[in-house]
Amino acid sequence: MTPFLELRAVGFEFNSKSVLDRLDLKLEAGTCTALIGPNGVGKTTLLRVISGALPATRGEILLNGELLHALSAKQRAQRVAMVPQQLDVPFDFTVQQIVEQGRTPYLGMLRGLLREDRDAVDRALDLIGATSLRHRVFNELSGGERQRVKIALGLAQEPTLLLLDEPTQNLDIGRQVELIDLLEHLRTEGITLLASIHDLHLIPGNFSSVLLLAPDKSLTIGNCAEVLTPQLLADAFQCAPGRHPLLMGAR
Amino acid sequence: MQAAEFTGMLLILSVILLMAILVSASFGAVRVPVSAMVQALLGRHALTQTQHIILFTIRLPRVLASAVVGAALSISGLMFQGLFRNPMADPYIIGSSGGAVIGGCIGIFFFSQYSLWGFNATALLAFLGSAITMAVVYSLARTNGRTNVVTLLLAGFALSTMLSNSTYLFEAFESNSSTGTRVLSAWLHGVIGVPRWPQLCITFLLLCVGMTAAYPLMRRLNILSLGDDYAHQLGIRVEPTRIAIILVGSLLTAAAVSLGGLIGFAGLIVPHVARLRLGPDHIRLLPVSALAGAIFLVITDTLARSVFAPVELPVGVLMVFLGGPFFLYLLRKNKREYAL
Repeated sequence: MTPFLELRAVGFEFNSKSVLDRLDLKLEAGTCTALIGPNGVGKTTLLRVISGALPATRGEILLNGELLHALSAKQRAQRVAMVPQQLDVPFDFTVQQIVEQGRTPYLGMLRGLLREDRDAVDRALDLIGATSLRHRVFNELSGGERQRVKIALGLAQEPTLLLLDEPTQNLDIGRQVELIDLLEHLRTEGITLLASIHDLHLIPGNFSSVLLLAPDKSLTIGNCAEVLTPQLLADAFQCAPGRHPLLMGAR
Repeated sequence: MQAAEFTGMLLILSVILLMAILVSASFGAVRVPVSAMVQALLGRHALTQTQHIILFTIRLPRVLASAVVGAALSISGLMFQGLFRNPMADPYIIGSSGGAVIGGCIGIFFFSQYSLWGFNATALLAFLGSAITMAVVYSLARTNGRTNVVTLLLAGFALSTMLSNSTYLFEAFESNSSTGTRVLSAWLHGVIGVPRWPQLCITFLLLCVGMTAAYPLMRRLNILSLGDDYAHQLGIRVEPTRIAIILVGSLLTAAAVSLGGLIGFAGLIVPHVARLRLGPDHIRLLPVSALAGAIFLVITDTLARSVFAPVELPVGVLMVFLGGPFFLYLLRKNKREYAL
């Protein structure tokens, strides 16, 4: 069976410096995977390469057996959506206006939003439970609300793969749990998720698998028990054993 | 704002523009009554021969030119503000004013008696100057197939400052400078001349082409305001889109410069006023900015030529005095903080 997402020896170089090197990865459809790793190791870069925002300089990425770089920008945007860490909006756009932009891959040069596009926007807002925010100005929302709107923008693309770059960043614990529940809800809706997560406490029980990107540019994938071991974490995060509760027991 | 309400707004603005054009054309040393004018435009002989000549060779061309200039500058300002995500952006932001100054200078001091296709040399050279400068600035900011927006702004600023200051050289070396200098100084503040019909038709055509090309770019501007990365991941090819926006904005600016010299301010504030009323959706801002800009310039230009008649003020000067306080009033009145 073809895996849903497959990376074959993917590498990415920037200014002739290797950021990602020979990464192999297979993800099944309908999974919810946490991407972890120390700061600066290339988690965001990996997500952006998978999203197609950055072209892989080596190797190939297959989505449902199709080569990602062979898809047009529009086709790619109809399949993969990325929720970045930051969204700075210079004007007073309302939540609805922002989420409507997610329909861009379905619009032609002149065609405006149709019934089906408006329905998709409504569904996206409904999924994140933000229908009441619809007419609020994005820049006036709280951090947690903004995070949800960014996810709705991605959902309006009706992707099969949703990538999230640190979605729990800057959220209080209550909003973090809400967000994790939202991810689980999206998974049951049939969307495959890959999210970079810094807060390792949030992972057990909430993600079906964990992907560890280590400083030596190796990828380890497995379920929570396999990857979140004190030894692997102590090595990957270069943190002395005993200095952090998660690392107790590492040598 | 609902769609019906928005359509109503466009309709009202169109009617206001039409009325402003008719009333403005009736103003002047020789009064031409609006009713007679309407009849004449419908093909009846309601005007004396003098009135007819004044209306069709002087008044209407000038009033229509101010409408074209106002619309072109407002759309171009709207596009550049959206593209640069910068509230201070105006049509001249990427250096077109500097090139226009050089072109205008050469035209005023050396070729003031020549003309081509109804354009006088000043208009034509200003058009060329601004178009060439924008091309140079753009190529300066482009590296490895990508355009750096900050470099674009800085290169535009530097080049336009350099070129603008060159006017002093022209003035210094001009032996019989008083006429040229006076013409130049007025032109630098914006003076809408009396264009011949071919010139007016060509610039109007440029405006139509610009607006048609701008329309599909408006949705792109909405997307680009989320940032390049977002635009890219939504399937937009960012670089060609940016080139198209710069090209259309530059074309409109150059067309406006060729009719009215360097008219500042309109391109800066009209989009802001529209945004304060309508919100940031560029698709709606396009027609409203165009109509509002046209109305604004038609009215100010009429005032500029009639308030102190027979002395004529540069329209740019009057516009700053009229538009400035109005804009500040709107800015203060708006309850929501104006985030940009």
